[in-house]
Amino acid sequence: MEENGREDRTSDITAMRESNEALREEIVSMLPRLRRFARALARNTHDADDLVQIAIERALTRWQQLRPDSNPLSWLFGILRNAWLDEARGRARRGRLFAPAERAEQIADPLTSAPASVLVVEDALARLPQEQRIAVALVLIEGLSYAEAAEILGVPMGTLTSRLARGRAALQSLLS
Amino acid sequence: MDFSDEILMAYADEELEPAQRAAIEQAMAGDPEIARRVAAHRALRERIRGAYEPVLREAIPGRLLEPLRERSADRDNVIPLRRGARPLGRSASRWTALAASLLLGAVIALFADRLGGVGPFATRDGRLLARGALATALNRQLASSQGPQAPVQIGVSYRAKDGEYCRTFTLRNGAALAGLACHDAQGWRMQMLVQAPAERAAGAQYRRAASPLPSAILQAVEAGISGEPLDAREEARARSSGWRP
Repeated sequence: MEENGREDRTSDITAMRESNEALREEIVSMLPRLRRFARALARNTHDADDLVQIAIERALTRWQQLRPDSNPLSWLFGILRNAWLDEARGRARRGRLFAPAERAEQIADPLTSAPASVLVVEDALARLPQEQRIAVALVLIEGLSYAEAAEILGVPMGTLTSRLARGRAALQSLLS
Repeated sequence: MDFSDEILMAYADEELEPAQRAAIEQAMAGDPEIARRVAAHRALRERIRGAYEPVLREAIPGRLLEPLRERSADRDNVIPLRRGARPLGRSASRWTALAASLLLGAVIALFADRLGGVGPFATRDGRLLARGALATALNRQLASSQGPQAPVQIGVSYRAKDGEYCRTFTLRNGAALAGLACHDAQGWRMQMLVQAPAERAAGAQYRRAASPLPSAILQAVEAGISGEPLDAREEARARSSGWRP
């Protein structure tokens, strides 16, 4: 894009900046939920916040792609989920597969003095395949409807419900 | 009547249509096993949700809030340098960095009344882009062939470590101003702007060896450059490629 002689863009720029400003405020209000979703995916507090940070940065550079009719929270969940899958693939490529779930308790963030009942749930969730874990996080933890979750993941409802059912069955047996 | 686990799960998640819901409620009333399975789905849901609920009450780390606050600084006419660009070398003192950003604020204030008009800068997405005569000079002017009286003097051109082309310049129209700009898809993005010493800005020779560029800009070049500055031929070639890496 050429920058010469574009004074007429000033009003566009003002409008864009105002909506960017609105998005920033909206993201601030969504941070608790973004952190919770990230924690369900990445488990470790620091890794999860890294993920939120990446998602914020991506959202701020791509906010023009947010359609006026779409829900910003869903949009950010989608960005965060993609960032997580990138990260998971990167780790696998570098040969640093996720720490075995058996070790999860030892590597759990020492700063979170979470009760044992919480650690058990985190362990169980960490054992699920990515797609099931993401479906569980969106529906059971974040409380999204099946339709919202399917849209974020870009899959048909049937795929979403099947991932959710398998994830749940696995959790049920891990936690019983 | 038997129900699949997926249907019972959807019932527990309140995803069913009223007719299906009624059928399951009827079945639950008559079959304790179905009621037990539904209860198990609900209990699991509560347990998982409950384990993550405390995250919502945790304090938000500052590093997540910081990029979201950037805009309010911008509104006060201090346009932040691009995050992560670190124009100053790691060794540069914090005082130099502070001085540079104060200068940037002063420079922006100086040009603020022109931002909506025909000044040399435009803001876009929180970044400061060259426009007008400055943009033209950055796009077209070659350091090897520029006239000594050109209002914009191009200094060094080079490839940054991330592959972008960057150029230093001084601007003598109205204010003696030196800057460093790097080219991306939106145009020439300011990495640094410094008020140049007037007597030096009046000089016409912009050779790297005895450069009149402010030291903060030279340090930024040193920190960001990949290899050597472009020579006349490389500079011309970069121009014809549209400054695209």
